[in-house]
Amino acid sequence: MAKILIPTPLRQFTGKQDSVSVSGATVGEALNALTAQFPDLRKQIFNDEGKVRSFVNVYLNDEDIRYLSKDATPAKDGDTISLVPSIAGGSIAAPPEQATLSNDEILRYSRHLIIPEVGIEGQQKLKAAKVLLVGAGGLGAPLGLYLAAAGVGRIGMVDFDVVDFTNLQRQVIHATKDVGRKKLDSAAEKMQAINPHVELVKHEVALSSENALDILKDYDIVVDGTDNFPTRYLVNDACVLLGKPNVYGSIFRFEGQATVFAYEGGPCYRCLYPEPPPPGLVPSCAEGGVLGILPGTIGLIQATETVKLILGIGEPLVGRLLLYDALAMRFRELKLRKNPECPVCGEHPTVTKLIDYQQFCGIPQAQPATAQEAKVNEGEIDVLELKEKIDRGDKFVLIDVREPHEYKICSILGARLIPLGEFPQHVGEFNPEDDIVIHCRSGMRSAKACNVLRQAGFGHVRNVVGGILAWADKVDPSVPKY
Amino acid sequence: MTRIEPAAWAAMVAHARATYPNECCGAMLGAVDGGEKTVRKSLALQNAFEGAQAARYELRPEDLLAADKAARERNMDLIGIYHSHPDCDAYFSKTDLQNSCPWYSFVILSIQKGEFHHANSWLPNFEQTEAVKEELSY
Repeated sequence: MAKILIPTPLRQFTGKQDSVSVSGATVGEALNALTAQFPDLRKQIFNDEGKVRSFVNVYLNDEDIRYLSKDATPAKDGDTISLVPSIAGGSIAAPPEQATLSNDEILRYSRHLIIPEVGIEGQQKLKAAKVLLVGAGGLGAPLGLYLAAAGVGRIGMVDFDVVDFTNLQRQVIHATKDVGRKKLDSAAEKMQAINPHVELVKHEVALSSENALDILKDYDIVVDGTDNFPTRYLVNDACVLLGKPNVYGSIFRFEGQATVFAYEGGPCYRCLYPEPPPPGLVPSCAEGGVLGILPGTIGLIQATETVKLILGIGEPLVGRLLLYDALAMRFRELKLRKNPECPVCGEHPTVTKLIDYQQFCGIPQAQPATAQEAKVNEGEIDVLELKEKIDRGDKFVLIDVREPHEYKICSILGARLIPLGEFPQHVGEFNPEDDIVIHCRSGMRSAKACNVLRQAGFGHVRNVVGGILAWADKVDPSVPKY
Repeated sequence: MTRIEPAAWAAMVAHARATYPNECCGAMLGAVDGGEKTVRKSLALQNAFEGAQAARYELRPEDLLAADKAARERNMDLIGIYHSHPDCDAYFSKTDLQNSCPWYSFVILSIQKGEFHHANSWLPNFEQTEAVKEELSY
């Protein structure tokens, strides 16, 4: 009879006995006899296939049976069998399984291979890496091109948009001939042309609470190249929940930001911004514009951080928000701290699964996708009706609440320019009885101006649905769209 | 929950600080009463990881076997494993998870710039895919 020592946590399955004597000619037989006697113990020691679990080492006296005769190691009277878990760990992730490089690849990556910090090992890490780009637009363009060139083994892209003319000023992965094509197809073609060794995965969906975890879980690193708050929070929360680093970048006009969120122990986007700004307060690039070169700079900072994380070299941009001002050509750095009260990555998280991010960001669910599809509600006017009104010579006030530089691009004859920011000061210049129509570029800003007047007691205020863009589409094709 | 008695805790913190900037590791001995674990003694063990130990540790099974023996001799039980995370939070990393065992509590001490910062205790699952935080007092 050999004696099997029972580890403390397993004694609940052996009637509190700290050792059990069992018969069996070999260690394997002894263990089977033990688990036959105490069936609940079986799951602790053996996996579903009946093999000893990977974390369990079996010792006969002072020797690991792997170096004796394994299961067949003879067990005699007076022998002691111990179950010892193998335990290791550490604050960083273990290196991924190695990928091998072909001679073609060795030639292609030679300028990497001769850097001591990269070398063959680093290039193998790049090849084994799986990176997801959320968005194939301004930031996604340089990211996709350079990460493919650098030899990141698998690059996934999430996008459901098609290339349009306004993209070409900055989204250098798309060409003029690609206008009208799916961004994913256009981007994948360029990346594959640069590096056929890279595996590209196209996710042609809008990332949502329903699909995000499923898509993100197969990647090591997520790179956020989105331009809206709901997706930004969604990507952040999904990364925190899955324990994946979120390489973040954002751009506006001449300024950009970048950092790495949710990287092992570091802060997340919600530590920096627990709540989204009120809808409409922070303009998107479509509303406020962006210098075309800017996403190149920020996207490549993201690409750099991604490559550093994969290689495990340098000082990652964790706990630091990098601010870039293109006009001053200056970089600044803000220290970011992990917020212990953070609702998603703090000590007592309240967000433990993905939520409704449109609602969280205060964005109404059913927004009209284009001016053409927009329905005219009360307090609104269609551009065709506006045209008739002008042609009839109706007496009414037409106000344009865009900025002067936008007015210079195009305008509707007879419209008075009062930028939205200055609008409240001008309310006194109108009569509450006046018939007032307000427009802007797409109808968002003018809707706010209409509300300002309504709250001041004006009764006949209407917003031009779709703004001057709809006017260009339906009334006057000579008006340029921007 | 796991409660660590002051003397055992002081020894763990001292071990983690002395090993900084590398990771330390050790065993926790004590008693289990229902769901409540009390650590009465900590046992410093050698970090056997071959390579840079700033962010990795490995326990020799022989050492763990010896720790279990030491516990039995003292009429105590081996109830947990501790290790430190130098300049890093006390979260349960992927590496920790993939080399864990569901039988024990895993206490991690975050040592920032050489000083103790905070600690957490984790309970990993069988599949080594998830670990839940356990209440810890020290």
